[in-house]
Parts: sequence; C-alpha cells; structure tokens
Amino acid sequence: MANWSITMSNAGFPINDLLRRKLQTTLTVATLTLSIASTLFLLFFSNRLELGIASSKGTLTLGLNGIFSQFIVFIGALIFIVGAVLTSFIVFFMMAQRTRDFGLIKAAGCPNSLVAGYFMTELLIVTFAGCVLGVVFGFLMDFAVSNVVFSGYQLPNFWFALLVFVAFFVLAIFFGLQPLLKTSRMSPMQALSPINYYGLTIGPKLKLLSRSGLIWRIASRSLLRRQSASLRIIILLSIVFILLTVSVTGGIIAKDTTTSWIQTPLDGNIIAIAHTNMENQYNLLLSKFSEAKETGDFNYSDPKIAIPEAVIQVLTSSPSVSVVDSRLVVLERLHEISNFTIDPDTSATLPVGDSREGDAIVVGVNPQKLVGEWSIKGRFLSGNGDLEAVIGDSVSQSIFYSHPSQFVVLSDPLVEGIRIQNTTFNIVGICVDPLNSGQVGYVPIDKLENATGITNPNLILIKLNDSTDRAADISQIKSIVQAADPDLQVFDLSGVVDHNVSFLSFTWQTIMLLPLFTLASAAMCLVGYMVLSVDEQHQEFAILRAVGAKPQIIIAISAIQGAIVLISSFAIGIPLGIIITLLILMTNPLITVFSVIDIAAWLSVALIGMFIFSLYPAFRLAKASILKIMT
Amino acid sequence: MIECNDLMVCTQALEKGYDMGNSKLEVLKDINLHISKGKFIVLCGPSGSGKTTLLNLIGGIDRPSKGKILVAGQDLTMQNEDFLSDFRCNHVGFVFQAYNLVSTLTVAENVAFPMEWTRKPESEIGQRVTELLKTVGLDSRANHFPSQLSGGEQQRVAFARALSNDPELFLADEPTGNLDVKNAQKIIQVLQLLKSEGKTVIVSTHDLEIKQLADQVLCLEDGKLVDNNE
Repeated sequence: MANWSITMSNAGFPINDLLRRKLQTTLTVATLTLSIASTLFLLFFSNRLELGIASSKGTLTLGLNGIFSQFIVFIGALIFIVGAVLTSFIVFFMMAQRTRDFGLIKAAGCPNSLVAGYFMTELLIVTFAGCVLGVVFGFLMDFAVSNVVFSGYQLPNFWFALLVFVAFFVLAIFFGLQPLLKTSRMSPMQALSPINYYGLTIGPKLKLLSRSGLIWRIASRSLLRRQSASLRIIILLSIVFILLTVSVTGGIIAKDTTTSWIQTPLDGNIIAIAHTNMENQYNLLLSKFSEAKETGDFNYSDPKIAIPEAVIQVLTSSPSVSVVDSRLVVLERLHEISNFTIDPDTSATLPVGDSREGDAIVVGVNPQKLVGEWSIKGRFLSGNGDLEAVIGDSVSQSIFYSHPSQFVVLSDPLVEGIRIQNTTFNIVGICVDPLNSGQVGYVPIDKLENATGITNPNLILIKLNDSTDRAADISQIKSIVQAADPDLQVFDLSGVVDHNVSFLSFTWQTIMLLPLFTLASAAMCLVGYMVLSVDEQHQEFAILRAVGAKPQIIIAISAIQGAIVLISSFAIGIPLGIIITLLILMTNPLITVFSVIDIAAWLSVALIGMFIFSLYPAFRLAKASILKIMT
Repeated sequence: MIECNDLMVCTQALEKGYDMGNSKLEVLKDINLHISKGKFIVLCGPSGSGKTTLLNLIGGIDRPSKGKILVAGQDLTMQNEDFLSDFRCNHVGFVFQAYNLVSTLTVAENVAFPMEWTRKPESEIGQRVTELLKTVGLDSRANHFPSQLSGGEQQRVAFARALSNDPELFLADEPTGNLDVKNAQKIIQVLQLLKSEGKTVIVSTHDLEIKQLADQVLCLEDGKLVDNNE
C-alpha cells in the first residue's frame, strides 16, 4: 500500500498547507500572539495597580495614580488600534499569499465553496492558535511581572482575558475574510495574476531615480509597484512608532517629572528632628507611598513628643543650618465646605461641592520657612495670616470629587474650603506629596495650633548649609539637640525618599515593558512584510543572481526597501508621538538633557533593531541556491 | 587522457543528483564532455533528460554532486558563491527558456545591469546597450518595461542581456521553445551572428534550423550522453 495520500480532506489540506509554510505560519501566529499578549498583560497590570479605580488603601498618591491611569489607558487604546491594524495586515498578508493557490485550485475545477472552505479553515486555525497563545502568554507575563512587582501573585480578572480573546478573534476573522471573499469572487485567471495577489501596478510610470544606482533603482521601483502592501506597512509601522514614542517619550518624561514631584518636598540636604515615637510615625507616613502599611493609632497631641521652643532657638543659631522648618503633624477629620459659582451662560447660581468628610494628616507649616517645595495646582500658602489650606491630590480625589448620582454635579476644591475642628480654611492649592500617600493637607502652623490647641511643633525639618562634611554637621546637630532634650532624635530622610523614588522608577520601568512588547510586535510585522516583499521578488532575485549578482546585492536591495519603509514610518510616527505626549499626556513636563538622550537611545535601538530584524528573509534567500529560488 | 586547459568546457565523470527524502533522483550520470573554443554545440534529448541541468552546471548556476567541471579554464567544482557570481558575470551569457527579465527595469536597463556589476564606465555601457538593442531589433523599445513587450521581444532582450559583457561562452536553454516562427527566426539570426563571430555557443533545442548551425550535436537520454556526432 502506498504511504502517501492524494486526497485533500477538508482539514488535511489547510493543516498541510500551514505546516509547509513554516516561516509564514509562525510569523502570523507569533504576531497575533504578541499583540494579544501585550494587550492582556496591560489590562492585568493596570488592574493590579488599581489604576483608574483609585484605591485609598494602595500605594502612590491618587494624583499619580491618575497619571499612570491616563498613560496606560492611552497606550492601551493605541495598542488596541495597533493590534487591530496588525491583525488586519497579518491576515491580509496571509490570505494574499493564498490568492494564487486559490486561483490554481479553482482553475483545476474545485468548487468555489470548497476552496473558500480550505482557506477559511486556515484562517480559523491560525487565528485561534494566535488568540489562545496570546492569552496564555498574557497570563504568563502577568504572573512573572506580578511576582516581581507585587511580591506575590493573585489571580487576575478573567473577564479581561475573555474580552481580549473574543475581540481579537472576531477582529481577525473579520479582516481575514475580506481578501478571502474578494478572491472567491475572482475568476481563476484574475486570481493567478500577480496584479491581484500582490496589488501590483501594471508598470512604474514614475521613472524617478533613474540616474541613481542600480540597486537603489530596483529597490525603490519594487516598493512603488507594491503600492498596496507598502502603504499598508507604512501606516501600520507609523502607528507602532507613535505608540513607541508615546510609551518611551511619555514614560521617560513622566518618570522624570513625577520623580521630581516626589523629591522636591524633601529634596536636598535635609534632616529631621523629632521624638523617637514621632520619628517612627513620620517615616511610616512617608513610606506609605511605596509600601501599603497601616499607620495605626498614634497620639500626635501627646505632650511628650512636642519639641521645646529652646531647641528651635538653638538650631536657628547654628551656623551649619540654613532653614529651620517647624511643623505640627496631626491626624484630623476634614470637612468639606461647599461653595457656589455663577454659570457664565445662564447667570444661575450653581452649588459646588457637598458636605463630605474624611481623615487626613494635616501639617501645620510656616510658609516663610520651608525646606522644600511642591508641584502644585493653584498656589502654596501665602503666609500673610489668611486661613488658607493646600490639600494633597489624594484628599482632592477622595473627598472633592464630582458624583452626579449622589447629586454632586460640580466639585472643585479650589473654590471650596475645609473645616478642621472649628476653623474653616480656603483651599488655595492641590499638591503632590508622598506623605501618607497624598492624603494630607497643609495649613499655617499658628492657625492649626489655634484649631487643635496644641502649642508646640512635633517635627522639625532642617536644611543644612552646603558643606564638605555632612556627617560632621549632622553629628554636631545631634549633640546640640540632645543637650537640649535627650529624647529627641536626629534622623536622615534620604533613605525613605530614595525608597519612594526607587519605587516610582520601578513602576515606570515595569510600564516601559509595554514598548518592548510593541517593538517585538512591530519587528515581527516588518519581517512579515519583508517575507512578502522577498517572496514577490524571488524570481527577479534569482535572475539577478544568475547573471552575476552576488548574494550581498540581494541583501542590499532588501535592506534599502526595509530602510525606506522604516524611515517613512519613523518620519510620520515620531513627530506625531512627541506631539501627543507633550500636548495630551503630561502638563508641565520636566525635560532634561538626560531625558532626551534616554529617549534618543531607546528610539535608535528600536530603529536599528527593527532594521536588522527586517533583513532576515533576505539573508535566508541569499543563502539559498539559484535554482531553489527560481523554482 | 584529454587535457582540459585548451577547452572551453571540460567535464570528467560529472554527476548530478537530488535528494528526494528517502530516495535520490539521478539527473546526470557520468558525463564526460570536451567542447573546444569557438564551437557551436546543440544539446538534444527528450524532456527530463538533463539538458537544463547540464547547462546550469556549465553556467555555474548549479554545483555537481560528483566529478569535475572546468569552464573557460576555471574549475567550478568546489567554488564558493562569490566566485561563481563573478564567473557568471564575466565569462557566461545565459538565456533561459522563460525570458527571465527584471520587471522593474526597462529594456535598456535590463541589458545594462550585468555591465554595471563589472563597473564599466557609463558611456561605454550606453554605447554597448544601443549596439545590442540594434542587433536584436529592439532599439525603439529601449524605455519600455518587460510587461509591455511580447514574448518574442522579451526573449530578444534576454539575448541582448546575455551578450552585454561579451562572454566567451553563450548558453541558451530552448530559446525558441515558446516563440512563433517569425520571432524564432530573429533569434536564429542572432545565433548565426554569434557563430560567425567565433563564440562558443551551447544551445539546448529541438529546433531543426538551429541544429543545422551546430558543429556538434550532443544528445542526452536519462542523464547520459548517448550520441556524439562531430
């Protein structure tokens, strides 16, 4: 009995066809997998960070959560668009390659419905494999990253997996069916014509570059001939580069900007002085930004932790001290004081806010003697004796939010006030502060003392003069402070500030995995295009080789084509990406020379990496014998 | 023992086979060929007898499985791809049955590009292209693309391209196989011209008119040389 089969069963032909086109099938499945995995990972990751949902018990501040959320939602939307275009391109590419086979089988007398069935089965197999693998890799990526970032793994929200699987599957089938249906309506002769299956123009009327080199001429004219595929890949890569630029530029700029927000309130040469218990509590409040810790019950009004005026006097007169920032830190109930505004269109009086309340750390400060500064919407306390308050972004978002279903249509902290005990303060600014994860408010210290009845500060921050021997200065201050009160501790805040900054950086770095995913998808996509390109030109490459062209010539032609496509996409994608980043994603961005170098390095590596990737099909072809290429 | 040095083509116990999974397909078996310079050789034989494979081996497009092959004084048996590229460019003109023109280049550019590999000056290339296109009767179609030409015209362009570097050896695989009588006649005229110029020509063909030009007819059957009529 013969050990071969000549019949083409409904399942046998598509499976054999896919298996015999290993590179193309692998590329298609891998690209779909990457696209789906990156989308799913993004959703899981943002869900884990509880971005957009805003969690008061989590880390970071709600304002920063908002930035992360906005950033990730935007990238998520772009990744989804890229996924859609990528899916469309990949399935189009796959089906375009089958057009000629479709025509051949039809020409041999096979019924249209049966041929369509073969290729529909191929489409289903590839799409299903890509979607399943994408979901699996999405889970694996989430598992790996969660274990590193969150120190433990909890099952993600499975609805995201279902949503992504269904959306991409439907999308892939929809786009894959388009060329299939188009081909099924063609006569066999049309389907066999290269004009149809490569979208070729009859002949390049545009005789540009005729005086340039031969290699350049062949490369550029081939691109012009394959207008449909070339345009499609340029559009796709442009979107990819927009995404990449937004991710990279936005990520780096946002990282630098938010890091500066976290550093500036306690930046520079600052040390703190407090009672031992208060020292522990203050460190706990600061570290809540990077670690979800309970601050527990603490008596901020305990007279034992009050700092005597004598200590402040001694420190003020010390030559190594630049600024003495006395603070009273208390935990208070904040009550929202609503206000009214005039509708500019109707002149009607509209209520702003409600009478909500919440707990927050309230810090009394002397606005004239501050060691740091904040990133603020509005302004900081004026220091002219007015009853003013600046609230943290988490207070702003947890108390002063609009909630139409609870009849709070308008809410704007900057036109409202807060009441602490029996004293009402006008809110003049909203700041980003890592203390107590942004659940904090700043008021003038004398007003807070009056409101709470506490007469002495319980924390002193001092800024040291620039000195060559910081350790000696700290040691000297320790001896001065302990001579005045032996229970007081001098402690360095740089450790906890550095920890917060590292946490923020690490969170950004984790998000920056997204551009890597995108880059991998784009590289696969470009290789896919180059396979199409090389496949379409293989006969001509064989002719060139037969009349004496060395294999390097083939690689050079492909390299020029890849470079033209990449640079065109780069030229469109990068400026648009930068504009989107600066105009939409970040307000008042902090752009340093290092940010620019960082961004340039990322984008250059992306461009070079993708270019090298794109040469793979040409290298593969160049290694093949001429006869193999011809046949 | 025949000395190979003075011959244009010399093969010794030449074999070519292809692995087909578990079996091996022997296309050429024990080919011993000695073709002097300036000879007009016709290869005949039924389809599948190995004519194209033999031409490919002589033209340096393929490598033998066993045996030795010397062409224009160059041993092609174990050469690398770069050497074979240079060899094809400088010593051989090859015309395929299926024309094989580069569709993105014009007629003139198709004829010119083998000369560009050898870095000839632009003026010399221009002059040579004009001369060759006149020879094949297509000087008025220089700026047309292959898709705008008939099959016969494309084959004539292929002839012009094969002659562009003035090769010592001219190989043609069934050059009139796909052509009508009128176009075939024009091809035969070019072959006559080559013969009159004293070029070494090896043509695989069934065309009786071309056979009449031959100094020697070599027939292949099942991969073996079966007849050798001087």
